[in-house]
Amino acid sequence: MPEHIILRDLDIPDIAQFDVYVNHGGYQALRKAIKENTPDQVIDIVKRANLRGRGGAGFPAGVKWGFLPKGVFPRYLVVNADESEPGTFKDRQIMENNPHQLLEGIAITAYAIQCRAAYIYIRGEYASVAGKLQRAINAARAANYLGPNILGSDFTLEVYLHLGAGAYICGEETALLESLEGRLGQPRNKPPFPAAVGLYNKPTIINNVETLANVPPIIERGPEWYLSIGTEKSPGPKVFCLSGHVNRPGNYELPLGTPFRVLIEEYGGGVRDGKQVKGILPAGASAPILPAQALDVPMDFESVQAAGSMLGSGSVIVMDEDTDMVWAALKMVRFFKHESCGKCTPCREGTYWMLKLLERIHSGKAQLSDIDLLNEVASTMVGKCFCPLGEFSVSPVLSSIKHFRDEYEAAIRAQMKMAS
Amino acid sequence: MAQLITLTIDGHEVSVPPGTLIAEAAKRVGIEIPVFCYHPKLEPVGMCRMCLVEVGTPRRGKDGQIEVDAEGRPVIAMMPKLQTACTVPVSPGMVVKTNTKPVQEARAGMLAFLLTSHPLDCPVCDKGGECPLQELTFAYGPGVSRFPVESKLQFVKPVPLGGLIMLDRERCILCSRCIRFQEEIADDPVLAFKNRGRGMEIVTFSNPPFDSKWSGNTTDICPVGALTSRDFRFQARPWELTNTASVCPHCSVGCNIALSHRYREIRRVMPRENDPVNEIWICDKGRFAHHFVNSPDRLSSPLIRRNGQLEPASWDEALDLIAQRFGEIKAQAGPDALGGLAGDRAPNEDLYLFQKFFRAVVGTNNVDHRTPAESCWPSDDMIYRLGVASGTDLGKLGKDTAIFFIGADPDEEQPVLWLKLKKSAQKGGAALIVANGRPTKLDRYARYRLRYRYGSEAHLVAALLNAVLSHPRSLPPANEGEGRSKEFAARLDGLEALRAAVAAYTPAQVAEETGIAEGDLNTVARLLAESPGLVILFGREAATPAVVHGLANLALVTGHVGRVNNGLVALLRHNNSQGAADMGLFPDRLPGYAPVSDAGARARLSELWGASLPEKPGLGTAQMLEWGTLKGLYVLGADPAAEYPGSRPTLEALDFLVVQDLFLTPTAKLAHVVLPAQSFAERSGTFTNTERRIQLFYPAFNLPLDARPDWQILNDLAARMGQSFGYASPSDIMAEIRNAVPIYQDLTDLELGIPQSKGRRPRSSIIHLGTRFDYLGGLGHQWPVMAEDPQARFNLAWIAPESDSRLQTPDSELSFVLAPIVRLYDRGTLISKSDILKPLIPPLHVALNEDDAAALGITDGDRVQVRSAQGEIETIAHVDGLAPRGVILYPIDLDTATDCTLFVDGAQATRVAVKSLAISYQQPGPAAPAPQVLGV
Repeated sequence: MPEHIILRDLDIPDIAQFDVYVNHGGYQALRKAIKENTPDQVIDIVKRANLRGRGGAGFPAGVKWGFLPKGVFPRYLVVNADESEPGTFKDRQIMENNPHQLLEGIAITAYAIQCRAAYIYIRGEYASVAGKLQRAINAARAANYLGPNILGSDFTLEVYLHLGAGAYICGEETALLESLEGRLGQPRNKPPFPAAVGLYNKPTIINNVETLANVPPIIERGPEWYLSIGTEKSPGPKVFCLSGHVNRPGNYELPLGTPFRVLIEEYGGGVRDGKQVKGILPAGASAPILPAQALDVPMDFESVQAAGSMLGSGSVIVMDEDTDMVWAALKMVRFFKHESCGKCTPCREGTYWMLKLLERIHSGKAQLSDIDLLNEVASTMVGKCFCPLGEFSVSPVLSSIKHFRDEYEAAIRAQMKMAS
Repeated sequence: MAQLITLTIDGHEVSVPPGTLIAEAAKRVGIEIPVFCYHPKLEPVGMCRMCLVEVGTPRRGKDGQIEVDAEGRPVIAMMPKLQTACTVPVSPGMVVKTNTKPVQEARAGMLAFLLTSHPLDCPVCDKGGECPLQELTFAYGPGVSRFPVESKLQFVKPVPLGGLIMLDRERCILCSRCIRFQEEIADDPVLAFKNRGRGMEIVTFSNPPFDSKWSGNTTDICPVGALTSRDFRFQARPWELTNTASVCPHCSVGCNIALSHRYREIRRVMPRENDPVNEIWICDKGRFAHHFVNSPDRLSSPLIRRNGQLEPASWDEALDLIAQRFGEIKAQAGPDALGGLAGDRAPNEDLYLFQKFFRAVVGTNNVDHRTPAESCWPSDDMIYRLGVASGTDLGKLGKDTAIFFIGADPDEEQPVLWLKLKKSAQKGGAALIVANGRPTKLDRYARYRLRYRYGSEAHLVAALLNAVLSHPRSLPPANEGEGRSKEFAARLDGLEALRAAVAAYTPAQVAEETGIAEGDLNTVARLLAESPGLVILFGREAATPAVVHGLANLALVTGHVGRVNNGLVALLRHNNSQGAADMGLFPDRLPGYAPVSDAGARARLSELWGASLPEKPGLGTAQMLEWGTLKGLYVLGADPAAEYPGSRPTLEALDFLVVQDLFLTPTAKLAHVVLPAQSFAERSGTFTNTERRIQLFYPAFNLPLDARPDWQILNDLAARMGQSFGYASPSDIMAEIRNAVPIYQDLTDLELGIPQSKGRRPRSSIIHLGTRFDYLGGLGHQWPVMAEDPQARFNLAWIAPESDSRLQTPDSELSFVLAPIVRLYDRGTLISKSDILKPLIPPLHVALNEDDAAALGITDGDRVQVRSAQGEIETIAHVDGLAPRGVILYPIDLDTATDCTLFVDGAQATRVAVKSLAISYQQPGPAAPAPQVLGV
């Protein structure tokens, strides 16, 4: 890719500095938005660009902004910087190395949805990132790109940083709101959706860091330019977090629709030690495992779903041919069990039960019928959990049994043989 | 009434109001959707996932029209996922399926999940037998457990959550009903979840732990045996218990309860649903203060004083002696040398018989039920005239009703009433105005708070009257609106005189006296005048005759009487204070409030009773307890020797004193004959609550005591004194009361009749309410007030506010106001028999303001000396921010002897001096003795 749109720090190393960002055209999109457009026009531009949420669900951002009830104020913008999906580290690079693009995106979005306060909910482990981000906020505010009467207009915006306390569930938007309000991080019932009743019971828009970083270039260059990148239904650039058994893990900004193979082989330098791919986790721990046959699937929301998984936040974890898939499922279920908030029964009890069964299978103390029991426990959870965390937690189990059942059986049989 | 929404549940069509949840709509067609976290009284959360059902809605085409199939029926689009019936509201044309295979599998799945954490220790669990988890597992659960038993959670068990409640963590299914109850209903948010996921557990973060008067309710609504009361743990299995319908014998709310008993012992007290009275809640005093019934201190046989000692005697001996001695006194000194003092805890039937005994058999009007201070007041019939109209539910007042509340702390005095007022203000949107000399928990929900200076209550009310009368919408001129018509104005006598009388009390003029700004009084007055409905509640702390008459005038001149959600409520102290007044336990009023001087009323009763009635008004409590006025006194369920120690010389000097009680009280110890009475648990009868609701309670068991019900004792005594009443049961007496007391004439058996619930409760009530007993009627009967008669005329009697010299005169010596307050947990005779509540009863103390404490050099816990014009005491000071500046709060009934040392007459506010004794006092542990009281 000739030019980075989101990870501009790769082209301009010091863009994290306010002056460097401004010298490279920074905050001109904000100026354009405020001076040349009404808030509704900004929403319309983002709608036309079909900017889809980069947090995982891929919901069109402009459409979401349009859900705000008319005439109800105050409203809030909440930036989801709780980046806690295993294998995801894209927002960190944006916040550390290109923070002003995020802040500019926040300011434009706040202008569009007419709110005067934005909260960045950043994961607790990113304390050092938060420090850098706060300095960027201070610099932008000193230059009147944030704060009262931005650029001489009557648009005022204060941006607040809030550190989470280390709970994966707080990446779920309503649990995030609960946590931001100072309560136990557990998801809320929907409806009402946050756009209607959100932070402090006021209309609230929650967007991912990367989503908002896409806003300034869209305003600056227009929706048509944006639509020319990526696929028809999934336009724009996407930062893919490549990790696992590859030679060059890292963040790679590619147009949506780029096949896995290109990411892994061209950018990631292929699988370590020249081995073969056995499985791909396209969205961290949350989406079903794809087998090696899926290497040529384009990485856009529709294609990955058609292949039986989800693009999610684009955190691609590659597993080579030597990977023990039972072990991999165990690791992921252990994560979900640890992070289950405990609010709903199936997730709280199901993740624990699945973990116990996987431990039994992995340590070879299981019987063959335990595979079916595991499959059944996971299936019972499907569609019944309170929030997506519980629904996601079954993905590694169901997909690994579906694609690699032989490994489960082998793990059990090996032990049975030894015992006999 | 909004348009109903029609939907189909399992093929049954049902129409319900908009906003109804699927789970509630299903109940209407008799379909039980299993739930754990959902509770009809709490906000839905949808976390247990037990109530998953299939839901579909009519599919709409691109044109927005509902698509129809070939037969013209709407095409239903079923939602891909199962939905929680407890969170999804109904919508038109919705189709709900509650018994399909996916639903059945989901239920079995959820139960399997819930049981992975659950120890299944049903055989030793107190909830076993009435446990939703047990019931639903039996109904819907998988038959087999496939969860590895070694992976089950194990905890140290149980942990005390507070003084009254125990938590078995491994039984908990984390439904948060208890947490939400404490937040939403009780507004004591002292419970929370700790940790997350499977490590989550219920914790309390208050100090002392689980600091709430409502903690027992969490054990009722807990859908498993995680929360149990210390009182009931391992006492009995639920199916072994007999549950007898009863009415709480403590405060004046009259909560409906069930006495669960076995082997003649109350094992627990449970709330019984009665929506207008207590919904499904009771306070912890009602739940845990039942131990007096089975106390070993109960009197077990009559006692007769022989050679200065009280010795056991037979009933015949005792009754014969009383008949003989009363007869002698009557013959020698006349009937007015005898008198009767009854406590307002006894049932209506017994109180009726008590006054009938004195009026018809002895021939005197010397009967009373009030305290010495109260018996000086001439406002006893205010509720009879202007009480809230029947049909008023204080928990369901809405936006069109204002509530004026003055001079009480219902949170401590009538907890369930507090709950209802809170609900009306918070959920219903009623405009609550709280006038009080000090902050209370009710303030939280008040739209306006009027913080008056102690002693200026009547001025406050007079100023409101003044402002209301100058408001264009008060009477007259008559404006539109019910109750404000010219016709109503014409039924008021003395309006112009009243207008002239209050002219001097403008809000501006009383501002200094009351400490309330003129503008605030005008705002409140405008609200009172303009509100379509107005309920006025007044409590003990402000209920002087001037205030009560002022409030009555306020209700009358704004036309707020005689209609539902309008009128007065007196916050009375005891379970049958209202009934005692209704039954004519007054020296100057007959049953039904007719004055003794009313010849017609006397003639009517005299015909009914077959005896002539004395026409001279009798002596009130204060006069009867004066030295030398009586020769013989009959005390039924009262304890003047303890409560008014000044009366001891009188009691000791009486020729003959009869005391009828459950216990050998200080008064009983002075008696010549002591008669053991039965408690409410051993007999039937009726109580009338503070909203005038007559409610029936049933006998639970007989105790192996030689005690008799009060009415039977009086019946037998009357027979010995030459008049045979011939009653065989309390219902015989109630039949006569309906004839004798006009306000009770409409009372029907159906309204009283409550079927007893024995054995198991129906599953649906266990699951949906947790506390509900099968219940077919008998919500009680609220008797109508005079104002409901459209012909009734009203006299606007005026009593000028007097500056209370004791309170208002600046006095450099006695610089503080000492305000008596009531605490829920005091050292009353009944509550002090409950060991479980003893740690919650605070030691004697006074509370003072932080600034005052700083000025006096007092810190929290210091010993202080409090001196009034009458006497002085030493006690501990609490510096807790609840006392306003210049006011010392003094909880009464923690030490009745001390109460009487400080207060001049009864328990009215007085002036005191306070000084630090500069001895730091260690915070007492639960068993710390009450501090030594000096100067008694």
